[in-house]
Amino acid sequence: MASEISAYPKEGVELRLIERFVSLRRKRVLEVGCGDGRLTFQYAPIASSVLAIDPDRLSIDEAAAEQHRRRIANIDFQVGSIERLAARGAPFDVALFSWSL
Amino acid sequence: MVYALRRAAGRLRAGGKLISIRPHLTRRPTVAILAGERRLPVATLLETNFERNLDAAESALRRVVDEGPFKPAGLRSAQFRTYLERPSQMRTYLELIYPPRPRFPPGGRARLYEMWDAAPRGARIEVTESLILNALRRR
Repeated sequence: MASEISAYPKEGVELRLIERFVSLRRKRVLEVGCGDGRLTFQYAPIASSVLAIDPDRLSIDEAAAEQHRRRIANIDFQVGSIERLAARGAPFDVALFSWSL
Repeated sequence: MVYALRRAAGRLRAGGKLISIRPHLTRRPTVAILAGERRLPVATLLETNFERNLDAAESALRRVVDEGPFKPAGLRSAQFRTYLERPSQMRTYLELIYPPRPRFPPGGRARLYEMWDAAPRGARIEVTESLILNALRRR
């Protein structure tokens, strides 16, 4: 029973709010503080690519395992913080700080 | 936080959007018991350090707008509710929130148990939280 409890909004609530300001469809998204990918997996299927970072290795390991299980190829989960993120690489269309600022 | 936002600005294309979702600064989480048609308020949760972090986030967002890399693109708030079947699940719920977590005020948890004991069969606990979403556009 405990595993069914969530302290976050139900699936889709945050996405509906985000999409009032920007569509994530075919966008390159940087998600800062992705945790276990709870939100990432909601929008990744419509995004072009996602770089999702979090300083907590256990959370990233969980996210990567779930990504493998769901067979989603366009997410790059990385342990780290935006402060240490390499400056090189293609620019993103959207930077998402979800419960992480 | 300002540094993180500046780094995000450096990784966004011109016209790109930064979205911040976080707990609402002033609308604190509330706990109530739902008993049939009745909603019985139990407590408002609090956490000073948590609110200090939210203050800092607001300041950081204002600062990167003042500094120039971003301009405001929108603001929206929303509520969401979680339903628990019994008081013992409250601890699990709070532990799922990344620290510093909101907590019951003095006597609040005892009040929850007292009210729960007096509630009719089929009652539920309702936790209402508020979030705020800021959208900024990269200049």
